Amino acid sequence: MTWLTPLYAGIAAAVAIPTLLILYFLKLRRRDVEVSTTLLWKKAIQDLQANAPFQKLRRNILLILQLLVLAGLLAALGQPQVKRQAVTGARHVILIDRSASMNATDEDDGRGGSITRFEAAKRQAVALVESLREGGLLDQDRADEAMVIAFDTQAEIRQQMTSDKAALRRAIESITPTEAPTAIEEAVRLALAQKPRRVEENVGLTTGPPVTFHVYSDGRIPDAATAAPSPDDSVEFHRLGTVDAANASIVGMRAERSFENPNRLSVYVSLENTQPRPRTVDVELLIDGVGAGIKPTTIPGASGDGLGLSGAEAARAASAEAATRAAAGVAPPADEESVRARPIPGTSGVVFSLERGQGAVVQVRLRDPGTGAPLVGDVLTLDDAAFLVVPPAKKLAVAVVSAKGNLFLSSALQGLPLSKLSDLTPAMFQQRVLDGTLGEYDVVILDGWLPEGARAKPLATPTPESGQPAGTIDQPVPLANAKPEDLLPPGRYIIFGEVPQRLGRVSAGLKDLGPGGAASIVDWRRDHPLLRAVNLDGLDIARSRGIEVETGSPATVLASSDRGPIILEASTNEVRAVIVPFDIAESDWPFNVSFVVFLASATGYLADETGAGASGRVVQPGSVLSDRLPGEVADVTVKLPDGKTQKLRAASDGRIVFGPLAASGVYAVSWTGPFGPTDVEGDDGRPTRYYAANLFDRVESDVGAAAQVELASRVVESRAEGSAIADRNLWPWLCMAALVIIMLEWFVYNRKVHV
Amino acid sequence: MLKTATPTRPKGIEDLLTSDLIARLDPLDLTSKKVFFGKLKGERRSKKRGQSVEFADHRPYSVGDDTRHIDWNIYARLDQIFMKLFLEEEDLSLQLVLDCSASSDCGEPSKFLFMQKAVMALGYVGLVNLNRVGATAMGGLAGEGDAAAPAGAVSSVVRDLRGRRRVHELAQWVCSLEPGGDFSFKEAAERIALTRRGKGLMLVFSDFFFKEGFEEGLRRLVGHGYDVFVIQVLSPQEIDPPLTGDLRLKDLEDADTAEVTISAPLLKKYKANLAAYCQHLGSFCARREMTHMTVRSDTPIDVLVLDYLRKRGVVR
Repeated sequence: MTWLTPLYAGIAAAVAIPTLLILYFLKLRRRDVEVSTTLLWKKAIQDLQANAPFQKLRRNILLILQLLVLAGLLAALGQPQVKRQAVTGARHVILIDRSASMNATDEDDGRGGSITRFEAAKRQAVALVESLREGGLLDQDRADEAMVIAFDTQAEIRQQMTSDKAALRRAIESITPTEAPTAIEEAVRLALAQKPRRVEENVGLTTGPPVTFHVYSDGRIPDAATAAPSPDDSVEFHRLGTVDAANASIVGMRAERSFENPNRLSVYVSLENTQPRPRTVDVELLIDGVGAGIKPTTIPGASGDGLGLSGAEAARAASAEAATRAAAGVAPPADEESVRARPIPGTSGVVFSLERGQGAVVQVRLRDPGTGAPLVGDVLTLDDAAFLVVPPAKKLAVAVVSAKGNLFLSSALQGLPLSKLSDLTPAMFQQRVLDGTLGEYDVVILDGWLPEGARAKPLATPTPESGQPAGTIDQPVPLANAKPEDLLPPGRYIIFGEVPQRLGRVSAGLKDLGPGGAASIVDWRRDHPLLRAVNLDGLDIARSRGIEVETGSPATVLASSDRGPIILEASTNEVRAVIVPFDIAESDWPFNVSFVVFLASATGYLADETGAGASGRVVQPGSVLSDRLPGEVADVTVKLPDGKTQKLRAASDGRIVFGPLAASGVYAVSWTGPFGPTDVEGDDGRPTRYYAANLFDRVESDVGAAAQVELASRVVESRAEGSAIADRNLWPWLCMAALVIIMLEWFVYNRKVHV
Repeated sequence: MLKTATPTRPKGIEDLLTSDLIARLDPLDLTSKKVFFGKLKGERRSKKRGQSVEFADHRPYSVGDDTRHIDWNIYARLDQIFMKLFLEEEDLSLQLVLDCSASSDCGEPSKFLFMQKAVMALGYVGLVNLNRVGATAMGGLAGEGDAAAPAGAVSSVVRDLRGRRRVHELAQWVCSLEPGGDFSFKEAAERIALTRRGKGLMLVFSDFFFKEGFEEGLRRLVGHGYDVFVIQVLSPQEIDPPLTGDLRLKDLEDADTAEVTISAPLLKKYKANLAAYCQHLGSFCARREMTHMTVRSDTPIDVLVLDYLRKRGVVR
């Protein structure tokens, strides 16, 4: 125990205690009354004293009490402090969903109108904060504490754990809704990370005091199964929104240009409807803000049998469910129906075809049929519109760098609608690197040749067929000594028959194991955009090339044979490459139609990554806009969908990062500097690059609130609405009780004196 | 109980007896269950044969008898000498004793004033019926000029007043009494017992709150042929003390103090003690053929004399 001000207490004690004792020595001043005789009184007193053995003690009990009171006051003046284990009140973590679906206006505002779920969530959260127990004067440690976390795809602590209700209220009020999808795992992790861990004897590291999670959400949380609060934490799910909220939404939009006729632009729009009934809407297409087409369409109603699930979603749901059960260690619930009861939204699609060679900002929005007004009876409006930034029609320029020419490649590329196809020798390639004219080509195909600085260590028995020059160096040129033309310059490459060791100045993390035996295809990633249209069934490779992907490599395997990877994709900051390490001449692939399709999709895929694809740059609200601007840029600004402009700082290599994006719409990044290949001239004449931010999230657009949330360790049912009970202030009642007791005491005292 | 703040002292008989009361007292006479021998001729029939107009009996003459009382008619008829005996009429001795100690001068109305009035009323009854009336003041302060000095056990005495003319003398004496000081009841009783003559009625007015006890004193008063009436006068304040708070009670007589904090149990105890004390006094008197009665000082004198004392056979 430590005393903060012992001196003051000592001085006060030296004054007060003798004073009290002296006062007590003065005794009670009794009123003198003359009576005829004291005879009977003395007898009465003696009788009473005989009845009360502690009479003497009772006479002094006042002094003892006064001394105790004085001692307490003096001790308080000394301000003692004791270190002890802190005892805290309940700890709450308020998780407020601010995702797109929380903008649905299907909550009652109590006056007959409707407010967004998000506003309702804030009101409920503030009510919860108001109901938290406050610390008393003597045990302030026991106040309930709470922290506020807002989450969409990203979680943000708005207020650390505190018992300050005003701060909590402010934190809750300051949260604004975003248009991002939902992910709760980060929020839970963030909350758990804030729990003070401590080491306890015989237990080890504990997770700190249990907290109560209050999840204010509509329950549409796709990753809920991965959120794992501690076993001693409790979770309360405050459901916002209604289960049968009606919403028609655009869940996907894509623009494609015809391969043969790039001027022909097709815009594909995917629609969903959460209502049980079919719904007719007008889908309106606007090009640069001008109406270009309108198509009425009927979206089928939501079905309750789960048949509407897309393959991927069904698989995801199934795996999440399985993970949940495995983690919880429980058998599948008997009432499968209740889990499956959620209706699957009806889906539909609309295709607009139009002739447009130039770039355009394409907007699609849903309108009420006939009137053209915004949709009526639609709880979520922000998914009723979607944007695409369609770059100008452009054919690709492709260069093939080959030491000795490749008939297969050339003939296959001949058939593709390219704007330019050049055959380059390695010397010409290196010359163009030095000249800086390599940028003319969108994609460079390296056939059995790599610059020296990127090349693999030669094999012990070089094969003449693979086109590797004999007598090359043992190691790649050390990076410090590498000449610029010896490295792969930034760009997009398809590499055949070689294993690059460096991509630009970065290690590729690939280990060349040399030629192997015959191999046949085992598996490939059919869902990858590059291989989506490619059928590799029956591909036979006579001479495979062993390759091993090291940990931390930027490369990912797209297709594997029984002897290892045969198609890889590698991507660094500067270089993107599709690597086919084996020699295609040693396989039957060039004779297969899939080879041509592969070349077409690989060039298209790589070019697409530059933003040259027909759908342009698409980001999702809640994610970060990250891109690289060409060369030396300055004075970078970004124009937000609401018209505001913000300044950005570009890194030295032209990299910009902005976000997370709060709203959907078109973001325009302008700068002073050179134009990139796909950049257009903006309103102020500067190079401008457009990004379309769209929700495009089926889970968010399916606005019906979930009745329960399945976390990794448990299933949390939604709480009944309005069941939060506010604490009543008891002190007025206590004061009144005290008053009554004082009156009673007065009465008793009088009873004691008068008979 | 409480000392009377401004005691009113009677100036004369008119303060003690109202004419109305006198009118009601006039037909009364003193009486006693015991018939005593008187000392002087009076209006009371005596056991003695003596000189009066009322014939009682005859007896044979014996030598030395007064020849004046020979019944000559009998002698003429029977030739024997018989003496005529007449009923003797004698007076009754009334002894009034009152407590003049400081404790008497207490209460509202004052116990002492009450006792003065009672003594005066009874003395009046005695005097108008030609009884010998004597009065003794126990304790009290000596007469005028020396008011502060306690006079010992008996401060003042009047003896052998007789006849209506002496009423004023008695009143003067009663008015001259000044209560105060302390005295020993035992000593006072001894002196009264020693100095009195004859037999008769004795009425003792006091509160009988004596620290040394009343037993010794009463024992000395009884047993000399006196018909003793013990009249305990208590003020209403003594019966129901109007006290509250933390008090230091001071005894008026011996300056003894008692520190009390008045509480309901204490008051209850006090009342029980008072009742027990009165009962003890009563039973003590009953065992010794004394008549005991407790009177509140706010009792009207006519009620005391015409009701209580008549019932107990003091007056008729």
